[in-house]
Amino acid sequence: MKKFLTLLIIAIQFGVLAQDANDIISKVVTKLNTVNDYTVVANVKANIPMIKILPSKATIYFKQKDKFKVVSKGIVILPKQGFTEINGFLANKNSYLAVAGDSTKIGGVMTKLINVVPTGENSEIVLAKLWIDTKRSLIIKSQITTKTNGSVTTTYTYGDKAAFGLPSQLVFEIDVKAFKLPKSVAADINKTTAEKKTKPGKKGVITVTLTDYKVNTGLSDAIFSKKK
Amino acid sequence: MLLKNTYNEFIKILSKPRSYLGIGALTLLVGIIIFAMKADGRSIISFVTSSFEQTLTFNGDVLNGNLIAFIILQMLIVHIPLLVALVTGDLISGEAAMGTIRMLATKPISRTQIVLSKFIAGAMYTLFLTLWLGFFALFVSRQIFGTGDLIVLNSDGLVILQDADILWRFGLGFCVAFLALLTVSTLSIALSAFAENSIGPIVSTMAIIILFTIIGSLDVTVFDNIKPFLFTTHMASWRSFFEDPVPFSAIMKSIVILVVHNILLAAIAVYKFNKKDITS
Amino acid sequence: MEGETIIKVEHLAKRFGTFEAVKDVSFSVNRGDVFGFLGPNGAGKSTTIRCLLSLITPDAGSIELFGKSFKTDRSAILSNIGSIIEKPDFYKYLSAQKNLEIFARVSGADVSKKEIQEMLEFVGLGDRGKHKLGGFSHGMKQRLGIAQTLLHKPDLIILDEPTTGLDPQGIIEIRNLILRLKNEQNKTILLSSHQLSEIELIANRMVIINQGRSIVEGSVTDLLNTQELLVRIEVDNAAATAELLQKAYPESLFKINSERELEVTFVKELVPELGRLLFSNNIDVHAIEPTRKLEDYFMKIIQA
Repeated sequence: MKKFLTLLIIAIQFGVLAQDANDIISKVVTKLNTVNDYTVVANVKANIPMIKILPSKATIYFKQKDKFKVVSKGIVILPKQGFTEINGFLANKNSYLAVAGDSTKIGGVMTKLINVVPTGENSEIVLAKLWIDTKRSLIIKSQITTKTNGSVTTTYTYGDKAAFGLPSQLVFEIDVKAFKLPKSVAADINKTTAEKKTKPGKKGVITVTLTDYKVNTGLSDAIFSKKK
Repeated sequence: MLLKNTYNEFIKILSKPRSYLGIGALTLLVGIIIFAMKADGRSIISFVTSSFEQTLTFNGDVLNGNLIAFIILQMLIVHIPLLVALVTGDLISGEAAMGTIRMLATKPISRTQIVLSKFIAGAMYTLFLTLWLGFFALFVSRQIFGTGDLIVLNSDGLVILQDADILWRFGLGFCVAFLALLTVSTLSIALSAFAENSIGPIVSTMAIIILFTIIGSLDVTVFDNIKPFLFTTHMASWRSFFEDPVPFSAIMKSIVILVVHNILLAAIAVYKFNKKDITS
Repeated sequence: MEGETIIKVEHLAKRFGTFEAVKDVSFSVNRGDVFGFLGPNGAGKSTTIRCLLSLITPDAGSIELFGKSFKTDRSAILSNIGSIIEKPDFYKYLSAQKNLEIFARVSGADVSKKEIQEMLEFVGLGDRGKHKLGGFSHGMKQRLGIAQTLLHKPDLIILDEPTTGLDPQGIIEIRNLILRLKNEQNKTILLSSHQLSEIELIANRMVIINQGRSIVEGSVTDLLNTQELLVRIEVDNAAATAELLQKAYPESLFKINSERELEVTFVKELVPELGRLLFSNNIDVHAIEPTRKLEDYFMKIIQA
């Protein structure tokens, strides 16, 4: 009897926890869905092993549900995952299972860890860990693990657009283990000494500072279909 | 007399059909590369960035005129030495074969001046080829593909250089590339002083370049001591201007080696030509 | 000044590997001379001439031109010499005018385009100035070579086989040109040629070299007059005439060429006496003439 009661309590708690996790995510999604479109200026600083690039600037356009475009005069390096994929992923409640984890303070903000596991086999995302500020329904940190591209950990900072769930800064940590130079290009026949090659660090960091948001201005679809 | 004969040498170079062969070949090659890049340049870029594109996206105009210019320079700098040697290797030995060296050597111009005027004219031709390459590679490419940041793959990774920071690199890079080609020109003229026909110096120049390049690429310790002094080792030093930070001391070293080669080869040619009995 | 030594060569020697092309050549050329430079093939003529023009560095001996040495005054010497060595070679891809401009520019003199055109007309190529050399005949190239030689008005002209490959008219033109240069412009000319008759007609002094050595040098007239002549005699009965002459001149050599012709090597001064002897013996003499003097002299020297 005791055992049965213990199990029942755990099951109920689990159900409650699951319900809580879904609620938390639902509130985050609701907030994100208040944005139909936005334009923002992104200042990108990339610190990635085997890549040298100066800080660069781009304009980012977004329109629901998944229209996303980066326009820049120069070359801007952004992570493949991390801008809007999570939005689309979280929007479909039936495609994942969300389980609440511990509470952690991140950057002075109390957050709740929500583990999101896709239920479908075809999903590129294998696991998404979200540390969510439940008071403001804002994602403070995420760690997205994909099948082919390793893990990307993103830290979110919010400014005056917090009400829309739009961050003022994103810091991406990327797994660079997979980076390899093409052999035919890598061999520099003009190097006369055997130079010591430092092993590439395992993580690269891209810091994107987002300013001059223009939210819900009614962006035309043509922006996303025009060739640069 | 040196200036007068240098002017003569210009006239001769401008009048020879083979001089235009080099310019025409260069124009054609650059045109083909530009056409190919216009048709399918993205696949070449993907080759370079594919490993990074699993986790990163490269936004912006990656395929731009600056990149095309860099690719052209990189591809053709191997082939242009032949186009240079084709003209400069003929400057002394071609005249020996034609018999005109006999006529020239009986004039009141010193043999040293004869050789130096050929060096100067050869250098001018090499400079013209370099500028022509630069014009096509940079100017025409930028007109067709526009400008933008330059993505360069070095042996230690990718370097992305901002558009505003590129022209001076190309400028200095072309200067060093010219010095490298000038070394080829000087070598072929020096070999020309030993020969009585045109083909010998041209073939010998290319053979030496190939041999030295192979020695430079072999990872064998027995060659380690001589590699730094082979001029072919420094022929691609123009590329160093596209690194970040620019290794100025290494580039200066390359410049010094190339300049020393030019001086030595010129001295050998002058010495040989002065001592030579002209029997043709 | 007449009599001034323009060329002075002393004990010149040059070896190519193991082959001694020139062993010991000495001669001198005075201002105003048309100097014949003779020798069989391989005697060392071309090598000597190339040494005179600093194309070849001799191993031994000395060369002075205009009283100067190449070691100290090469430019000054060469600016006063015009030369054709073997055949004149030009830039085939340039026109005749352009070729002359090229050589004029380094000749040490200021030669204008007008003077170049005048020179082309002088050598009979006035209307071919713009034509590329590729279409020129050998004779035309030879004439252009002469033009190139004279363009900067040198005092000394060195011609190595200038009539090679020319037709008879061309040969005559070159001969007349050389004489004009000597007589009208007082040029000093060193002329190497196989055309011994030409040398005999125009040269006043000569040197013969053989196997790398100078054999004999001097005035053409003096050298030929001190020697015996080969006299050709045409008569009705060569054999009888030979018998008669043999008795009168037992030391002379008679050679019967045919029924009507015989040759005898004879001292020049005694030729009139020879004629009188034949006439006094009622021998009808159809011809009595010295034949190919220089050629014979030359052959004698070479074979000696």
